[in-house]
Amino acid sequence: MDTAIRQNRPRHGLLTFRRLYLDLALIGAGIAAFFLFPDSLGFLTRVLIMIIMVLSLDLVLGYAGIATLGHAALFGSGAYAAGLFAVNFSADPLLGLAVGAVAGAVIAFVSGLILLRAQSLTLLMLSIAVAQILQEIASKERAITGGSDGLLGISMEPIFGIYAFDFVGQTGYWYALTVLTAVFVLLKIIVASPFGLAARGIHESAERMRAIGTPVYWRLVAIYTLAGGVAGIGGALSAQVTELVSLDALGFSLSAEALIMLILGGLGRLYGAIFGTVIFMTIHHLAASVDPFNWLFVIGALVLIVVYFLPEGFIGLPARARKLMRWSP
Amino acid sequence: MKKLLRTLAAAGTIVLAFAGSAAADHTVKVGVIAPFSGPFAIWGKQFKNAVEVYVAQNGKKAGTHTVEFIYKDSGGPNPSGTKSLAQELIVRDKVDYLGGFVFTPNALSVAPLIQKAKVPTVIFNAATSIIVKKSDYFVRPSFSLWQVTVPMAEWAWKQGIKTAVIAVTDYGPGNDAEVAFRTTFEKLGGKVLDAIRMPLSTTDFGPFMQRIKDKNPNAVFVFLPAGPPSFAFVKSYNENGMKAQGIQFLGTGEMDETTLDALGDAALGLTTAYHYSGAHDSDKNRAFLKTLEEISPGAAANLASVGAYDGAHVLYQMIKAVGSDRTKAVAAVKGMAWESPRGPVSLDPDTRHIIQNVYIRRVAKDENGKLINQEFDIIRKAVPDLGLPN
Repeated sequence: MDTAIRQNRPRHGLLTFRRLYLDLALIGAGIAAFFLFPDSLGFLTRVLIMIIMVLSLDLVLGYAGIATLGHAALFGSGAYAAGLFAVNFSADPLLGLAVGAVAGAVIAFVSGLILLRAQSLTLLMLSIAVAQILQEIASKERAITGGSDGLLGISMEPIFGIYAFDFVGQTGYWYALTVLTAVFVLLKIIVASPFGLAARGIHESAERMRAIGTPVYWRLVAIYTLAGGVAGIGGALSAQVTELVSLDALGFSLSAEALIMLILGGLGRLYGAIFGTVIFMTIHHLAASVDPFNWLFVIGALVLIVVYFLPEGFIGLPARARKLMRWSP
Repeated sequence: MKKLLRTLAAAGTIVLAFAGSAAADHTVKVGVIAPFSGPFAIWGKQFKNAVEVYVAQNGKKAGTHTVEFIYKDSGGPNPSGTKSLAQELIVRDKVDYLGGFVFTPNALSVAPLIQKAKVPTVIFNAATSIIVKKSDYFVRPSFSLWQVTVPMAEWAWKQGIKTAVIAVTDYGPGNDAEVAFRTTFEKLGGKVLDAIRMPLSTTDFGPFMQRIKDKNPNAVFVFLPAGPPSFAFVKSYNENGMKAQGIQFLGTGEMDETTLDALGDAALGLTTAYHYSGAHDSDKNRAFLKTLEEISPGAAANLASVGAYDGAHVLYQMIKAVGSDRTKAVAAVKGMAWESPRGPVSLDPDTRHIIQNVYIRRVAKDENGKLINQEFDIIRKAVPDLGLPN
């Protein structure tokens, strides 16, 4: 983690945007993907949405060191809120996105008040419990949420009243890419700000941060709330693009998968969240289309290999490669 | 292809006829979305086996068209994943038809998609009544919960059962089953003494048994997911002497053929109402079982098998009638009647849901000592989906 901090050490002003070339390349890749794989936009859109979810998890786990296995609680709250808003009030996508963000943030704030008093394993268990409770509520309140049938009747209006959602998924893709870019830029600024630094400081040593006068608990609540908003945006996007929300949006497997993607990519760097998600989901997708019956073996092997040989995740690959080159005579 | 056809159609009838003949013997693709991995993989396996049985019996050609099935893994309930799989099947693989679907949310997630893309979609399982209303392109040759639960209540009343306790697993289908049974049973004049909702994850039914025994009803109506909860409930039912006390067991899908053997003798005599028994007495079913045994030795035929087999039949009939001209496919099979391994069935022209007999069965042993669901009564023939308010 030391190297991570040194490499990502924020400086001042415009230097927030160091690695601008990488950011531009990523956005370029997002645009290129649209033209390269015009037949897989549904899948690509899911990747973009998942990246938002994993970025949010990275903020919580990678930066602030809050161990959670209940991140789906925030994603799902955003999804249900945006879905219900679309069904009952307004089908405007951008308003729905805002509602999803607020819902995610509110749930994160309220649950965070309790969760963040605990540490390590207790925190982990509590985070699972929060997601389970929310899932149970969504399951019981069938009249409102549709229970296990899923929340029906979401039909989004065109974005800005112009761009209607089509079944090939073109609008959905541009929409998700734009939102992701905005979220990414925002997060980049935040993690490089003193606020982001404090989060990392708490991760490294909460005691020391307390000693220099940081209100550790409230910083953690703030960052958890922020991550809740981001995850809520992801959930809202998912609800709008799928036009259905079901209980799996609050499910344990979503939390666990997001965690695996983040670990694959590398904790504590926003790029890790992006690479991890893209690599995991692409391999998942390819393996499942080549052999829909046994693809899980491939995923299992991938996770094992990465954990053994690339403990920092894929993001550590260049550094490892450099080291190897240097060592070789 | 669709765009091409449309352009050709505009060009004039001669050209269209030409295109028709050109398309006459091309391959028609069908995308099948089902769980092939994870805890629900058995569903996908049953689907695939049954489709292969149908292909083995009827050949790869439907009329003049070669049919190709493309399988996609949806995992468990996962609407966003399912929708993007369907998108890809339609846009990239250029399938003309979809099939499969075990879970209700997954089926519902493709409704807006198939409505816009005009892709006929045959549901092999997903049993919530409302699904077929969500798109004109859904056809469902499986069953619905109301369809099998209402006849169960009617049969119970006819047997002189006047009081019942309802014990269902507390999740969507369980709650549906409770409402369906209660509504029917009370309308007939029966009395529901208690309704118990049991947690989905529990396998300890002791406390519930005591509650049921205390009420001393004529029967207990049960809805449980097949598998461990059903084993545990049946075991508990016997151990607590409910049978001896004269509390009859009434169920629907609990005695699933793939798990029946594991229940053992404890299951003997239990009564359920369902649309298909692996032991259905007909030549069609025997032929089905024979081919199934050849394709996958030791496999049992259950509701998933018959749903997929009839699904394949409906797909074949659509393809035979219209090929890739899929906008006319649903109209071509509305009202169609055929002989299924489950018995005579037809498609309701209004709801596009299957009309079928619901059989009353009890668990018995066949000549080889194997446990089967022996059908012994039909309470009502040609039952439509009773869960759709009209």
